[in-house]
Amino acid sequence: MIPFIQTTLDGLMVGSSYGLLALGFALIFGVMRRLNLSYGPSIMVGAYLGTLLYIQFGAPTYVVAIVAVAGSVMAGVYVERLCFAPLGVGAGVASMVSSFAIWMQLEQASLLMLPRHSYPFPSLTSSELLSLGPLVVRPDYLIMLAAMLAITAALHVLLYRTRFGLGLRAIVENSVAASLSGIDVQSTMLKAFALASAIGGVAGFLVLSANQQVTAMLGMWATLKGLIAMMIGGLGSIPGAIVGGLVLGVIEVHSQTLFGPQVRDLAAYGVLFVLLVLRPGGIFGTTAISESVGHRGGDRWTTT
Amino acid sequence: MDDHLTGILSNIGVISFVALSAYLLLLTGEISFGQQAFFAIGAYTAGIVTAMWQLPFWLGLGAGAAAGGAAALFVGLPTLRLHGLQFAIATLAFAEAVRILFELFRYQVMRDGEPVGPNGIEGFPNIRYIFENDVSATQFMSIIYGLLGATLFGFFLLERSRLGVAFRMIGQDDLLAAAQGVPVFRVKLIAACLAGAIAGLGGGLYAHLTTYVEPAIFDVMLGVHSLAYGLIGGLGTAFGPLLGVAIDIGLLESTRWFAGYRMIVFGGLVAVLLIVRPRGLLDERLVHRIRRIVSRRPPPAPASATILGEESS
Repeated sequence: MIPFIQTTLDGLMVGSSYGLLALGFALIFGVMRRLNLSYGPSIMVGAYLGTLLYIQFGAPTYVVAIVAVAGSVMAGVYVERLCFAPLGVGAGVASMVSSFAIWMQLEQASLLMLPRHSYPFPSLTSSELLSLGPLVVRPDYLIMLAAMLAITAALHVLLYRTRFGLGLRAIVENSVAASLSGIDVQSTMLKAFALASAIGGVAGFLVLSANQQVTAMLGMWATLKGLIAMMIGGLGSIPGAIVGGLVLGVIEVHSQTLFGPQVRDLAAYGVLFVLLVLRPGGIFGTTAISESVGHRGGDRWTTT
Repeated sequence: MDDHLTGILSNIGVISFVALSAYLLLLTGEISFGQQAFFAIGAYTAGIVTAMWQLPFWLGLGAGAAAGGAAALFVGLPTLRLHGLQFAIATLAFAEAVRILFELFRYQVMRDGEPVGPNGIEGFPNIRYIFENDVSATQFMSIIYGLLGATLFGFFLLERSRLGVAFRMIGQDDLLAAAQGVPVFRVKLIAACLAGAIAGLGGGLYAHLTTYVEPAIFDVMLGVHSLAYGLIGGLGTAFGPLLGVAIDIGLLESTRWFAGYRMIVFGGLVAVLLIVRPRGLLDERLVHRIRRIVSRRPPPAPASATILGEESS
């Protein structure tokens, strides 16, 4: 029984990193109803900038963290200005393909910066394990879990207790009406995008410092894991992102212990597929930020 | 024609099949991130038929296409009731699962004292039918373009059929199409099957062109690229995705002009292009205009010119 609980605990810890990644994704999708495939590569740009400072000048860990988040926000704003703002509502597919094109661009820019496959990344804590009775946890994963909970709480306050959050929710509800009531839709969306990229940057930094290395696969990894976690939890839902991430982590770690590393991803995709077929809205059914997903019309990803 | 050019053209031809496959689903308004799975299934099936079972090439291609179509039917049944992002992610999950299954798939026979067949993550080398039967690179390229031409002709016929109209109707508005009596789910299933078969056929050609396939080739990147080709080239005709492939592989991958910066150039080009033309270069409006110019009849002779109304008698 103890090994099973330990594995589940490990899964929850890994899952908290997925949950963090999914939060940023869910925020963008929840507000814009459009998929930003460049989400992972934006994180990668920030992380690579931080790594560059770390290996070239031996920058301290907090500088690396700040640069990672700032770089991710910069890349995110670039993506929003180029792929989302000029295309307008009703071009969900074009935005997605465009963000994929920028994925290629950001990834190549990162690789031009640091061409090797992997680089060391500063660690946040000592690698000693903390013991909780018969169980053990890694302290860096505890930080990740704490960060996830703190960011979720902050996001909740932001969405439901501030004018900015009110504006955001109004846009989700009906962007035309929001604009008529004096909300600057463009700038609110840009801010939401920057915020999501910042959350992604934090997630990226915490994951990399737990792994103590950064690889060229980071962009693809972050986009895929964030997307899967968001889909499992529920499209564009904030609590869904957290639950989806944790569920994904538990499934992955359990199937890895039982069947080995290749089956780990297979199980994750299998669960995602079955879940989508049986319950297309994800665990949380309809979304929390908004419940309407446009179904009619040639472009089904727009707010209708 | 030198070998380098033949190689590039063959590559463009083969990748066009996956792009056409994604395009066919785009016509019905569905986005698939998973067409590479059918490409992979076709490649492995065709390879097994020719390299392991020693059956003729055409049988291998046919089996690849059939396997692709059958797999698409199998996935389409549960997923085609989904919409938009959910469908896209379900196809992505399926395709990644297929890729991992190929990583675990081992099936080998001994031939000339050497094991032949898929060997998990190591891939499936020595699909040498083309070499063993003295088909030259140029001849093989003609086979590829012959089949691509036939597929395009199929699209040409499709656009003029009730089925093609039904595809575009569903793509515009599936509720309205259903209200007009179009059996939406069945039509979508047909589209998915055809798309799977086209990708499977391309996969069979790909396996014989490169003589080697491995699971890593068929990752998400291939799927998203093939989707992007249609959107860059345009959704107006089946030539759109071909144009997309030609721009990417022909101009950027094969020339050394942008070495190291290729993706930066390509990415920027596509992003800017999509701002100017959200439905691609050859979009419906342009195609319609071209068609009108081409089909415009010569002006009637002056003698038959009549004032409105006098003509009817």
